[in-house]
Amino acid sequence: MAVVEARRVTRLFPMAAGPVAALRDVSLRVDAGEYVAVSGPSGCGKSTLLHLVGVVDQPTSGEILFEERDVAGLSEAERSRIRLVRIGFVFQRFFLLPMLTARENVELPQAEARVPLADRRARTRELLEYVGLADRADHLPSQLSGGEMQRVAIARALANRPALLVADEPTGELDEQTGEHIADLFGRVHADGTAILVVTHNPMLAARAQRRVTMKSGRLVA
Amino acid sequence: MTSLWLAWRTTTRYRVRAMLAIVGVAVIGALLFDMLLLSRGLLDSFADLLRSAGYDVRIIGSEGLPIVRVPIAGAARLAADLRARPEIGDVVLVRIERATAQGAGHPPRPITIVGTTQIGGGPYTIVKGEDLPATSSSWDRCPILVGRRLAAALGVAPGSSLRVSVRPEGIRSALPPIVCRVAGVVNFYFAATSEDAVATTMDALQEALGTSGESADLILVASRPETGPAAAVRVIQQLRPDLRAYSNEDVLAQFNQNGFAYFRQISFVLSSLTMTFAFLLVATLLTVSVNQRLGEIAALRALGIGRARIASLLLWESALLVGAGAVLALPLGGLLALGLDRLLRQMPGLPDRLHFFVFQWRAVMMHAALFAVTAAAAAGYPVWLATRLPIAATLRREVVG
Repeated sequence: MAVVEARRVTRLFPMAAGPVAALRDVSLRVDAGEYVAVSGPSGCGKSTLLHLVGVVDQPTSGEILFEERDVAGLSEAERSRIRLVRIGFVFQRFFLLPMLTARENVELPQAEARVPLADRRARTRELLEYVGLADRADHLPSQLSGGEMQRVAIARALANRPALLVADEPTGELDEQTGEHIADLFGRVHADGTAILVVTHNPMLAARAQRRVTMKSGRLVA
Repeated sequence: MTSLWLAWRTTTRYRVRAMLAIVGVAVIGALLFDMLLLSRGLLDSFADLLRSAGYDVRIIGSEGLPIVRVPIAGAARLAADLRARPEIGDVVLVRIERATAQGAGHPPRPITIVGTTQIGGGPYTIVKGEDLPATSSSWDRCPILVGRRLAAALGVAPGSSLRVSVRPEGIRSALPPIVCRVAGVVNFYFAATSEDAVATTMDALQEALGTSGESADLILVASRPETGPAAAVRVIQQLRPDLRAYSNEDVLAQFNQNGFAYFRQISFVLSSLTMTFAFLLVATLLTVSVNQRLGEIAALRALGIGRARIASLLLWESALLVGAGAVLALPLGGLLALGLDRLLRQMPGLPDRLHFFVFQWRAVMMHAALFAVTAAAAAGYPVWLATRLPIAATLRREVVG
């Protein structure tokens, strides 16, 4: 069963000199538990595809089906709810809230989803142990290294047990060795049954995926 | 993890920005609070002053404001008639004349002398000595209460003597002086800070004037609580339609319309300006803050944090900054009001007890309400910016940036 499916999606961005097509007639399906990596040169449309699949953007034409529901017919609140409980996001720049500790950052999406306090405390502890940061739970992001911040961000993305984890250049801000640790972590997340769609320039990270697709000039080429 | 809690953590995280905003709002808020105190302060103070005399109706012999007085003929008879009416509790005759007072070793000094039929508890506070005696006696024909300023200038204390020469209006030369005994040194409620005043019994003043007790400049009437001042005014108008009777509320209403409109207008203009400054300060700081956190906000939205949560987070941030500033503004505004009040009261001719800035809970409530509106309005644009931002485009810009 597909967790998410992009059907012949095109995304145009209006510009002063005329619309620019970031994606042209792209179709992609990510099945439950599948690990897909999208590679390609800068500006080829990888992040645009990820944003569409991650339900933070809408295609100009074509359809995005998330768990077989066309997201175009959903309200903003419904799309927000899907992102909260069915999708986990990992960003290149981590985007942890700087005023919250690692534990609080992981708790935040659970609090928004109204998970009872005791349950979210337990889940947060479990996730911080999972990413190897149980001893840094009360540290602020400013007290963590880049790799540690990204691990907290992965724990946050997994907080509400999503069906799909989407990651946009998750090793883009990290050195090679730290990037390998993050790649290992993605491997574990996948092994535990979560579908992953990762956009990356990092061949080592892409190599861990079950399926690799390449994009060029807004189209899937392989 | 409530929005308030998140807003608190954000505010304490960016301490310098928060402190600048709070101090800015506090300074602006102090000015606003002072304007609110000023807008009703003088009127409230004037009302207190009127009520401090213990009488709620004033009778004068002329049209217009009760400060313009002409002698009331047949005042003693009117007082007797009024005392017989069930609507009236008490009646006091007051006569005011210019005079000179001379203490031992001091040159004569111009004063205002007030003669009254009131026995004890007049519009003054006794600083030293005692009140005027209830009855006149042959050995104490002219007991007087002396204002503190005059007592200091003439070097007199209770038991001292003063030579008082009355100079009735329209008569060029002073009447022969009489020797008065200082019964007490007082602070007069109605006397200006620059005015030297003495009070004595009506009998003593009439003896000094060489007249009978039929005339007064002002009659003070206390109505009975069960009937109220309006009934007392009606009775007076029935008995003497040639006179004007004003309840304290009438006097206040006239002053509110004429004398204090100026202060209200100034207060309104300055209050509006201060609110605008507070709005601009907080709106600018929040907008800058949101612009600095666009990536963070877009990421939160991507994680499924709803628009309502983002909006309430920013509203609480605004409320915390404005609220802390507004609370700090109260003591700051209070101190500033004390200084400004002292400065304004140096104007000549103002009664000693009159204040421009008077603390009122109403002003505090208004201050709080205006700042609540400001906090909500200041958060308006940042909230719109944060909740309407395109998530994907913002994330893309953040990465490229």
